[in-house]
Amino acid sequence: MSTFKDADEVYALIGKALEACVTEETFINATKDGTLVVLITQTDPVATILVDFPGQKVLCGDAAAGASSTVQLKMSSDNANKFWQGKLNFTLAMAQRKVKLEGKRSTALALLPLTGPIFDKYKAILGEAGRRDLLVD
Amino acid sequence: MTTVDQTMNDAEFAAASAKAEELSLFFREIGPKYDIENTFAYPSIDAFKKSGLGSLVVPKQYGGQGGNILHCSKVISELSKGDSAITLAYNMHFIMCGIMMGLMSEAQNKHWLGRVSDGEIMFGPFSEARAGFSGLADMKAVPQAGGGWKIYGVKTWGTLSEASTIITTNATVTDADGNIPEGYEERVSAEMLFIADFDVDADGQGDGVRIEKTWNALGMHATGTQMIHFDGFFVPEDGLVCEWRGGAFGVLEWASLNFASIYLGMQYRVFEEVRAVLAKKTLGATFGAIAANETKVSGIGHIVDGVGDMAARVELSRRVVYRTCQELIDGEDDEWPVELRFPYIGLAKTFVAENVMYMTRKSMSLVGGQSFRKGAIFERLYRDSAASMFQPLNSDQSCTYIGEYFLAPEELED
Repeated sequence: MSTFKDADEVYALIGKALEACVTEETFINATKDGTLVVLITQTDPVATILVDFPGQKVLCGDAAAGASSTVQLKMSSDNANKFWQGKLNFTLAMAQRKVKLEGKRSTALALLPLTGPIFDKYKAILGEAGRRDLLVD
Repeated sequence: MTTVDQTMNDAEFAAASAKAEELSLFFREIGPKYDIENTFAYPSIDAFKKSGLGSLVVPKQYGGQGGNILHCSKVISELSKGDSAITLAYNMHFIMCGIMMGLMSEAQNKHWLGRVSDGEIMFGPFSEARAGFSGLADMKAVPQAGGGWKIYGVKTWGTLSEASTIITTNATVTDADGNIPEGYEERVSAEMLFIADFDVDADGQGDGVRIEKTWNALGMHATGTQMIHFDGFFVPEDGLVCEWRGGAFGVLEWASLNFASIYLGMQYRVFEEVRAVLAKKTLGATFGAIAANETKVSGIGHIVDGVGDMAARVELSRRVVYRTCQELIDGEDDEWPVELRFPYIGLAKTFVAENVMYMTRKSMSLVGGQSFRKGAIFERLYRDSAASMFQPLNSDQSCTYIGEYFLAPEELED
């Protein structure tokens, strides 16, 4: 059973963290001249989030599913919850098929070392939303 | 402000190639002595440093020459044409420069690659006895109260240790009592890449680290692939580079394609030697498969076919290695499934390895019994080429990676 209630909660929590991500200066500098648009498809609950780095915008649900992307990332919502807290070893998760990455991924992989500040932001969002139970030790 | 063109240009590469040709001739000259003596080729150290090729792939902003992986491949194959065993030693330096510059911070690159540009040599022992390169490090990095780590363990493939003043290696960070994390995922995440000074005396003894000269193998005698013992070797905090497995994922082409270049250079040499012998060899009067008063080897059908086949294999290998390098430079690997990036790059090495082993065996068959005598170049190339089976990825590993990908179910493992 998923730790998220439904897709709307995924958007309210992870989507909100990603909105902070695309306006973070380090990400802007790393992606401003590129074409990195990541479509995140989550399972259990099913949720779709589009992260448009050059456009500095995040779309959720049907709006995300209908947009074009350059990188496609698939994972369960629980693993997404772990990842955005810095608790998922991305390389290991790919090797174990917990995460599937497709498309032009070199820029996406290059962003991994920059994700640190987003972890704190996401954890703060969980706290503000009264979902400290989603925090991973 | 003057801007620096960061990529090596054609004139600069021509100059580097000329240095490589010169150094290759020196390796060719001294190689047989160190094959017989079964030791590292010590005179190669000064020659390598004098050539300036050590900074070939170091970016220009750190004082290097800005060569890319194709430039590196061409230089290594030229050196290997002279002597593959000696070149395999220095290949370790090129591998680690390529890997480290992609993983180190700006400050680390400036410091360590700056030292390489000043002539220092680096090496990187990673494999351990239990499971080689794929095994998670049993070597421990124990955190110290004042910062930094003390390293404990043994690495088995310390190639080029006798010429190096910089060491890179991987170890698993433990708790203060030296306990490795029990959980698999935690253990993977605790395996780190380090870089440090490697300061040992003439006997290979240093502070918390020592070289044990154990190298004794079928071939590749001059590589000096010794065991490295760590017994409280201190690495300061700024020697931590990154998490090892995640970091290595994107830069292992520097190992795979550089090894491929070694065996491509060996193919060049095999063909050169075969051609030199067979073009002028005569059998005189024969009464066997060929009955004739004067039998020139170069006119015998299977010899002609054999030499043609070898030339074709050399050309195919050259195209496979250099084209793979170019595809990486052009970013075409971005189109490959991520799981297949490493094994697809590794195909160049496995292709060349299969061909060089075929060629060294075939060359002895074509040249005849004289090639089997100790001291004959063909006998040596046959022994040295056998090493191509082992460096990562080998052909079995490549096929396993690729097969797993194509047989894996579409859904996620969750």
